[in-house]
Amino acid sequence: MQPITCHECGTRVLVEKYSEIHTSVQWLEDAEAACPEFARLAEQGTHSAFVSTCMALRRSIGAAVREGRVPESRFSEPAPLPTEGR
Amino acid sequence: MGDMVAEDEVRLIEAGSNPTRFARGWHCMGLADSFRDGRPHEIKVFGQTAVVFADSSGKLHMIDAFCRHMGGNLAKGTIKGDEIACPFHDWRWNGEGRCTNVPYARRTPLRARTTTWLTLERNGLLFAWNDPQGNPPPPHVTIPEIEDYGTDRWSSWSWKSYLVEGAHCREIVDNVVDMAHFFYVHYQIPHYFKNVFEGHVATQHMRSTGREDIKTGVQMDLPEAVTRSEASYYGPSFMLDTIWTESGGETIEAKLVNCHYPISPDSFLLQYGIIVERKPGTGVEQAEEMARTFTDGLEVQFLQDVEIWKHKSRIENPLLTEEDGPVYQLRRWYQQFYVDVEDVTPEMVQRFEFEVDCEAAVAKWQAESRENAARENSAQA
Ligand code: FES
Ligand SMILES: [Fe+2]
Repeated sequence: MQPITCHECGTRVLVEKYSEIHTSVQWLEDAEAACPEFARLAEQGTHSAFVSTCMALRRSIGAAVREGRVPESRFSEPAPLPTEGR
Repeated sequence: MGDMVAEDEVRLIEAGSNPTRFARGWHCMGLADSFRDGRPHEIKVFGQTAVVFADSSGKLHMIDAFCRHMGGNLAKGTIKGDEIACPFHDWRWNGEGRCTNVPYARRTPLRARTTTWLTLERNGLLFAWNDPQGNPPPPHVTIPEIEDYGTDRWSSWSWKSYLVEGAHCREIVDNVVDMAHFFYVHYQIPHYFKNVFEGHVATQHMRSTGREDIKTGVQMDLPEAVTRSEASYYGPSFMLDTIWTESGGETIEAKLVNCHYPISPDSFLLQYGIIVERKPGTGVEQAEEMARTFTDGLEVQFLQDVEIWKHKSRIENPLLTEEDGPVYQLRRWYQQFYVDVEDVTPEMVQRFEFEVDCEAAVAKWQAESRENAARENSAQA
């Protein structure tokens, strides 16, 4: 998975793309503590576990993909634990 | 490993074995009112035998069914006031698991306490907290309230349960990431499919349409219905799903519960229920009718899941494609409920998102179901 930094808040996540549409994101910290967007929603009563995505992070991933920083990969084994650089 | 598998190497299934431990979490025991008929109810759960009974205020309690005196079965006894009386020698046990009275004795053994489970009533359902370590649930680990539950906005629960033997309940949880089985087992075509795991919650966001060749009650018999669904597991066993069925500019909202409790390492009670929103103008009868249609449709689908589980192998090393959901990451999340709280690792609970690319699958499935429908039509002509 490729490390990507959100240009809104600086949170670092690991990203994998199997295709243009597919995206897999592994967070490395507590999402509500790391992401101000999630923190704001949590304050309004919606916890991040129920939110499908942070739009700022999604834009950052989109930009990284366009810059060729997230080459498409395939499902590979062993699958269980996402690690950097795989 | 990895890509270095020789071309003709036989792949073996690692079946593993069912855990003997029962998951930490809230488990739904069924419709709360069904336990308030003035009688004690025996439930086989978590490898034990429990009795559920209502005290005089109607509050439900769950304690070990076997009387600590001589092992009588309290579920065969009677409720006397706030206590349950054993059929064998009439010892009285309260909801806190204390013996409060031995009618024929001068002294009551006050110190002995029996096993109890913490209970919670929410949305008309009874829940029991299981924790092999005996800790109470942390405050944020709970079951959410359904907005307006108990008002005439919703139909009453249409509720069913089904005993599944010969399978571990992990099989049912696996479904939350299984995009492709929705077409084959549930007759739906997912167009959007995303999972998010975080903390004790695992969510599936899905948008789907029905098949042209096979119709189910889940589409509520509406033409061209689009179904949006947001389903979350709150812990290891209780899934609450909000479903919006959209057709002809109308939206019908329904809440689906899909839950289970383990009986033994290889059996569980599957339960599912539905409430449907009453539109202003639709009568009570009509809402109940819709809930029934929907539940009947679901039953067909669940029974097909059950048919698969009954005959499949446990598999620790599923062979996946890019169109399969994140089975391994889901199981990593699920594992948190089977280890001591001190042993829950960050990876089990840190947020993980996975959006499946459904595009290729949708094209193939639409073509397949269209062809099937055309073949059936011409056979009938
Ligand atoms: S075994 Fe229950 S009262 Fe004797
Ligand atoms: Fe299923």
